[in-house]
Amino acid sequence: MSDGPLIVQSDKTLLLEVDHPLARDCRAAIAPFAELERSPEHVHTYRVTPLALWNARAAGHDAEQVVDALVRFSRYPVPHALLVDIADTMDRFGRLTLANHPVHGLTLTSSDRAVLEEVVRSKRVAPMLGARIDQDSVIVHASERGRLKQALLKIGWPAEDLAGYVDGQAHPIELDQSNWHLRDYQQEAVEGFWAGGSGVVVLPCGAGKTLVGAAAMAEAKATTLILVTNTVAGRQWKRELIARTSLTEEEIGEYSGERKEIRPVTIATYQVITTRRNGEYRHLSLFDAQDWGLIVYDEVHLLPAPIFRLTADLQSRRRLGLTATLVREDGREDDVFSLIGPKRYDAPWRDIEAQGYIAPAECIEVRVSLDDEERMTYAVAEPEERYRIAATAQSKLPVIRRVLERHPDEPSLVIGAYLDQLEELGAALDAPVIQGSTTNKERERLFDQFRNGEIRVLVVSKVANFSIDLPEAAVAVQVSGTFGSRQEEAQRLGRVLRPKADGRQAHFYTVVSRDTLDSEYAAHRQRFLAEQGYAYTIVDAADLAGPGEVNGPGWVDEPAD
Amino acid sequence: MPTDPPPTLAAWLRTRSDEQLSALLVARPDVARPAPSDVVALASRLAVPVSVDRALDELDAATLQVLDVVLLAPTDGVATGELPGALPDLPDDVLTASLERLTARALLWGDELLRAPDPVRRSVRHPAGLGRRAAELRIQLPADLAGALDELQPDERAVLERLAGERPVGHLPDGPSDGAGTPARRLLQRGLLARIDALNVELPREIGLHLRGDRPFGPPRLRPEPAVATHEQGSVDRRAAGAALESVGKVGELLGLLEEEPAGLLRSGGVGVRDQKRLARVLHVGEPEAAWLLELAYAAGLLDVGGPHRDEWLPTRSYDIWREQDLPDRWAALAAGWLGGVRLPSLVGQRDVAGKAVNPLSPDLVRHTAPAIRRSALTVLGEFRPGSGLSDDDLVALLRWRTPRRADRLAPVPAMLAEAARLGLVVGGVLSTAGRGLLARGEDGASDGMRGLLPEPVDHVLTQPDLSLIAPGPLVSELADTLAVVADVESSGGATVFRVSESSVRRALDAGWSATDLHDFFTKASRTPVPQALDYLIDDVARQHGRLRVGAFESYVRSDDHGLLSQVLNDRRAASAELRRLAPGVLVSGLGADEILTVLRDAGYAPAGENPGGAVLTRPAARPRAAGRRTGTEHSPAPRPLTPDELDTTVRQMRAGDAALSARRGEAVRQIPGVTTASTLELLSRAVSAGLPIWLGYVDAQGSGSQRVVRPVSLAGGFLQGYDERRGENSTFAVHRITSVALVEEDKPSGAAQA
Repeated sequence: MSDGPLIVQSDKTLLLEVDHPLARDCRAAIAPFAELERSPEHVHTYRVTPLALWNARAAGHDAEQVVDALVRFSRYPVPHALLVDIADTMDRFGRLTLANHPVHGLTLTSSDRAVLEEVVRSKRVAPMLGARIDQDSVIVHASERGRLKQALLKIGWPAEDLAGYVDGQAHPIELDQSNWHLRDYQQEAVEGFWAGGSGVVVLPCGAGKTLVGAAAMAEAKATTLILVTNTVAGRQWKRELIARTSLTEEEIGEYSGERKEIRPVTIATYQVITTRRNGEYRHLSLFDAQDWGLIVYDEVHLLPAPIFRLTADLQSRRRLGLTATLVREDGREDDVFSLIGPKRYDAPWRDIEAQGYIAPAECIEVRVSLDDEERMTYAVAEPEERYRIAATAQSKLPVIRRVLERHPDEPSLVIGAYLDQLEELGAALDAPVIQGSTTNKERERLFDQFRNGEIRVLVVSKVANFSIDLPEAAVAVQVSGTFGSRQEEAQRLGRVLRPKADGRQAHFYTVVSRDTLDSEYAAHRQRFLAEQGYAYTIVDAADLAGPGEVNGPGWVDEPAD
Repeated sequence: MPTDPPPTLAAWLRTRSDEQLSALLVARPDVARPAPSDVVALASRLAVPVSVDRALDELDAATLQVLDVVLLAPTDGVATGELPGALPDLPDDVLTASLERLTARALLWGDELLRAPDPVRRSVRHPAGLGRRAAELRIQLPADLAGALDELQPDERAVLERLAGERPVGHLPDGPSDGAGTPARRLLQRGLLARIDALNVELPREIGLHLRGDRPFGPPRLRPEPAVATHEQGSVDRRAAGAALESVGKVGELLGLLEEEPAGLLRSGGVGVRDQKRLARVLHVGEPEAAWLLELAYAAGLLDVGGPHRDEWLPTRSYDIWREQDLPDRWAALAAGWLGGVRLPSLVGQRDVAGKAVNPLSPDLVRHTAPAIRRSALTVLGEFRPGSGLSDDDLVALLRWRTPRRADRLAPVPAMLAEAARLGLVVGGVLSTAGRGLLARGEDGASDGMRGLLPEPVDHVLTQPDLSLIAPGPLVSELADTLAVVADVESSGGATVFRVSESSVRRALDAGWSATDLHDFFTKASRTPVPQALDYLIDDVARQHGRLRVGAFESYVRSDDHGLLSQVLNDRRAASAELRRLAPGVLVSGLGADEILTVLRDAGYAPAGENPGGAVLTRPAARPRAAGRRTGTEHSPAPRPLTPDELDTTVRQMRAGDAALSARRGEAVRQIPGVTTASTLELLSRAVSAGLPIWLGYVDAQGSGSQRVVRPVSLAGGFLQGYDERRGENSTFAVHRITSVALVEEDKPSGAAQA
């Protein structure tokens, strides 16, 4: 029996023992076809899904490589049936190909007549197909390219899209690498994307996804439409593009609620595109406003469903999706696969952290005991009020203050979900509050001051969850949240993971009311963070040591004399 | 010896050597028991239709083709020299071997001129796929057959061509009743087809032969030589071990589930769909897979009907032994159970005649031929070198060639091969080492073949900060039992992933664990440091779970039924127990537990003792078990092969019987056994006094009759003593078992003179 680092489970999860000498090789071998699900300290869990296998096929891996990787690294014998199943699943990809026929235009071609027959007879697919050319191919209406791929994936016969892309209107874009360099993994990500034509690059928050986008644009050298979550994120993109590429301010347009500029590179928010008036999407013309050569989707895991529908019509344009995680809370990962493209690059957080590109983080849960009055209020509250009461308890305030005192010189964020609480905290901590109603101008001003160090503490609401870039935030204190959402946790953690100038450690505090719903939700988040491989410590508020005290920040455990 | 060819089968048998007769008995063992008394008896046994069918069923396609040639010959008796002409493409060695096989089994007889016994002719209904002669079908063929055939329409011709192929009998298609609708009906009218019943028609042999032209027997049916599938044996064994691990793990899980909640027994037998669905859901497998696991557990004798009303499917007592065994033995028990099982699990879910799906473990799945088919299929693979085998389709084709007359039995073979693959006996058409072991040496061979490939049980887990516990291999059963209480299984396979959650900790606390016990347990069982979060979780739950009280008393009485406790408290008969209420549900006493038990029992209650530690699991001491069968399989009775000694004896007895038969005998005196007539005694005593050999009909103590020639020595006290020529020894015969007596008229004139 070999003594490999991998254990293959019958439910197609793979357990990888990380301390094993072969663990690194094994990770590299299984990463193309298995999604990393959990990466706690000792044993990482990967899952082999049909989507992951097709992603691997799309990236040029064949079943033999997959089977070989499993058999080679597995500690225990791998059930034959599982290997057969994997080979069968992978074999389903590429039986159907979408290609451009010189005479008939877009056609669906099959190497396996039986499959084509099955597909042609499928109720879901049939309306999208045109006339049969011969036994092996059938005409596809060009406008159905995206929806057809979606439908084929749903019935288990994903098509390989070889129909190619239009080049779009050329526009010179160069990376300006005079005082920085594209990191290796960013370079690999761009190459992976460009070779595949379209697809998704998965990189952790803070790992420089914007630069991957910029590099992809420099590769395409064509007009580009960038879709982002909100205006602040859009401005961030604009700033980065001006700094890192040959693009000038005049070449970049902003298409948002405030401004409607269409320029060679246009940055639009999801929100403005999905705005409807009288049941009509009013800004659809944006997609036809230019002969776009590249469309970049920032934060693909948040892409709203209407944009998926729009994306279905854009299949002849190159599409780049950027995200920290392919996990969507709405489970529409397969739409990402069929409409934007397969995963083209993936690097786990911890590896990039180990390379020093994102800050190591320490996660601390501080438990606060409610006073008797609060406990009574909590006990008699209506169920739907309970979480709010627990999360916004007054007893948290001194603890938050104490946490911030532990890091007197660090730029700190206090993040919460309830506006009353945030206002109170802002007043008590004498810190400005950024929330939904704060104007973009005001936000930018506060962010600038925070960046300059004029403001040390910022109190932010949920609006800060996404895509604001605060390079020097080293401490985040989470006081209330959205029911233990995993995505929110990842985003908030991302706030403090941006690389620090001096490589300091980042601190991520969660202040939790003991024995309440708050701590129950905290348990969800705790599990998520532990699964991501972060050290997670639970501390009682009373034991929270200040700087220089035993177990406080900077404390070094010295042997007693 | 006479130089004329022997005129009858019996006479021909008589000319065979002892070795040839032995070979005949080996090849057709059903005629050897009980031992035939002589060659005539042997010949008549050989003519029994069942015996002929059985012998023919075991022949391969090439041999049957040679037989067809003899059967189709216009004359009775074919010279061996004519055979190559009929089958020009057949290699000589195959022909010789086929003839040898046929004559050794007495399916053909004769030395120069081969003849087929009538029963063989009757048993082969359609030799070479040709129908009966027109005369037998009672139709009159046109005088100019070739001309009549040439005039046919193409569609009519096509019908004839098809019937001239493998099967001369065809269904008459439903058609308009005017009769002339279909080509087949037109052919009937022309007298080119014969109607054999309301639905079927048969093509006369003459037309079949005519259509087949100069090659009436078609190409030679040689043994198919399919492409050999090769895999490296080491890799085959590793994959087999993977399958084995999976099977053992899943069956273990299944039985664990049935232990907690047995499946109900349907009135028609078997397990209901609802239970099947429940098991499938909990085991994370499909319903067909759940059915397979149930069948497998049953075949291995680990699952049976039990319970107080014998209406539940429960793990058997063998399961308790099984789960303590090491993995290879556990797997071998499953594999051996499957190989010998008389049920076809693959039929679960198929619709029966009434359109009802068959349930798992339903009695309808029993097929007594199943073990033989399984073994024959696997044995074919076993004939290949290690590391090579056949694809499923090729294997079925080969089996079909080997026993074409039993081809209908081969329907379940593909499903059986799939099951063998699931178990790890076969991987990609190649038999695993353990599979070979199973065929050659049964369960021991199987477990030896798997040993070293399956992981050793581990006695620790890895605890992770996300509160998952990973057992990096199969767990020792003690640890597995404990973990089942304190954590939930999240994923199983080579390893097991457990998760500790609030509810699982609460469950452990409910089961009598204290927080300290849990801390200790995790510290001891975990090879990695116990994460802080886990300690916090346990303490959090324990804090919520209950507050501790410490006091001093000798024993307690507790019950969830407060009313019952109040009753006990107020019961005067129990007053001597000095009970007081400590809390709702708990009474305590300064007296010892034994005394309290006695007092309560005397007062008419049914109390049960509790472990004084109270910290251990409060599980019932004995869990319900079905009685179960001794082994999991109902072995279908297979005939024991004849030993060389038995063969010798049988052949010698026949020869002697034959000698007795051929010896001319005088008028026999017949008697009813057990009634000795005066004439019998007279004849016997005459023979004794004259020293004449007698021909004796005798029924031995086992009840089998025989004829022997005996030279009597004495007759006294109801017993005849004499020299038994058949056995070559002196024997004693009970007179009341003698059925007939006759003086042997010896050829020598001296004997006659003495008489």
